[in-house]
Amino acid sequence: MKNYVTRFTLKQRIEHASVMTLFLVLALTGLPQKFFEASWAQAIIGALGGIDRVRWVHRAAGILFTVFTFTHLGVISALVVTGRAALSLVPTRQDFLDAIQQLEYYFGMTDAPAKFDKFDYKQKFEYWGLVLGAVIVIATGLVLLFPIEATRFLPGEIVPASKLAHGNEGLMAFLVVIVWHIYNAHLNPDVFPFDPTIFTGKISAKRLHHEHELEYERLKENE
Amino acid sequence: MLSSFLLPLVVAVGLAAPAAPQPKSEDIEACLACHGDKSMSVTLPSGETQSLYVDRAAFARSVHGGKLGCTDCHTDLTEVPHAAKPFQTRREFTIAYYEACKRCHFANYSKTLDSVHYPAIARGDRMAPVCVDCHGAHNISPPNQPRSKISQTCAVCHQGVSATYAKSVHGRALIEEKNADVPTCTDCHHAHDIGGPHAPGWRLKSPELCASCHANAGMMKKYGLSTNVMQTYLADFHGMTASLQRQQSAEGARVTALCIDCHGVHNITKVNAKNSSVIKANILKTCQRCHPGATENFSSAWLSHYEPTLKNAPMVYAVRIAYMILIPFMIGGLVLQILLHLWRVVVNR
Repeated sequence: MKNYVTRFTLKQRIEHASVMTLFLVLALTGLPQKFFEASWAQAIIGALGGIDRVRWVHRAAGILFTVFTFTHLGVISALVVTGRAALSLVPTRQDFLDAIQQLEYYFGMTDAPAKFDKFDYKQKFEYWGLVLGAVIVIATGLVLLFPIEATRFLPGEIVPASKLAHGNEGLMAFLVVIVWHIYNAHLNPDVFPFDPTIFTGKISAKRLHHEHELEYERLKENE
Repeated sequence: MLSSFLLPLVVAVGLAAPAAPQPKSEDIEACLACHGDKSMSVTLPSGETQSLYVDRAAFARSVHGGKLGCTDCHTDLTEVPHAAKPFQTRREFTIAYYEACKRCHFANYSKTLDSVHYPAIARGDRMAPVCVDCHGAHNISPPNQPRSKISQTCAVCHQGVSATYAKSVHGRALIEEKNADVPTCTDCHHAHDIGGPHAPGWRLKSPELCASCHANAGMMKKYGLSTNVMQTYLADFHGMTASLQRQQSAEGARVTALCIDCHGVHNITKVNAKNSSVIKANILKTCQRCHPGATENFSSAWLSHYEPTLKNAPMVYAVRIAYMILIPFMIGGLVLQILLHLWRVVVNR
């Protein structure tokens, strides 16, 4: 086995970079709108050129994010339907067993940590959290962008409810990324200070063995 | 140049004394020896007749009665007969004399320089009001006694708006109930430094005017009104936009709904009045002024200044509760996982 294994295709790396950039832009222009009474929020809005421009950028980035999300889901669905993609991110019974075993390991009830395939339960959780969160912010964002059209067939209360859900979902996504993603991709002692895999597409065989042992074994067998 | 006219040459007794801080009744008596004559008048080059009569009783009843003498204001009239004056019209005469007030009332005089009326005076508009047009001259009385006198004063010129105001919830309370809390013209527009509603920033500042009473818990309690109206407005899309646009330059101020856009300005009614612009039967029309194409459902997107509760906005309330639980649960769970992971890493070493 070579020293490095290709983990992500160029397309997947570009997808990650795009979503990361859009996520940052959306958080930077969205959170100050949610917390507009705070002085830090007003400073950001002022620095970006005022609320009208902040809203414009947020909406443009949101529409791009919507297009990316639907493209991603459409392509994945097409690949899965035609049998050209493995269901490597679909949660399975094994993931729940892995999570339980991992917790037992953390608590010292067993000395064997769970062994993972290509994506462990934490990664699947984060992926589906992002997809579900994206669906929520996209749906509520569209209601906020087109309130007149939305209330043609939905009750008016959908607008303030969407506003509250949009801001809270955005805040939660931001906190998850700050806490969870930053830990797993940067602060985790296994990868500290920076896990470059999603940018280079490569992972060392050593790390693959450590973090995704089942995949490592399978790749080795197929060699 | 200007043709002049001579004030009637009148012989008066002892007018030699200069203006003194204490009024001297003999000064007044000396002047009234001539000016107490009702028929005393002068015809100006414009053809107008200017009465030169001063009503002794009216002056005595005025705020200045017993405090000021004639020459305290008419400082130039030190000689008898008085020197010739170059006035063509009555208005010129008034405008020439109004600055006499500033000798004592300098603060209010300088405020008028910031008034919306002043640029009109400055560019030579003779109809623009000066001190005496609102306060009177020899018969000056307190301008706000009774309080309804204020709107009557403004109504002399601003008839349309005053009539509208008189029919509003504020105007009716003032005029019919002699209510001392409701705003009259000067509460919003000020008396001397009268702001122009077309001035930059005035529109975006207007919610503050409403808030000065409607955020006052003590006052609102008297009328069974909620002070929540400001917070609920500011927390919503329109209020947020207005607050943030105010911090930008006035030119950046785009259109967003303020208190007055839904409730009206001089024509404000009770929210439950039949002709109210915000009562359920009329609110869609009010929304459509800015949101053409809005349907009945759209207007209920605004929760009418109510905080969302299980009863009045169950969907909003449910979303609020859901995230109040979900966010701490999610983030707490993730932090716990991280700590457990770190702990295990440390133990393994």
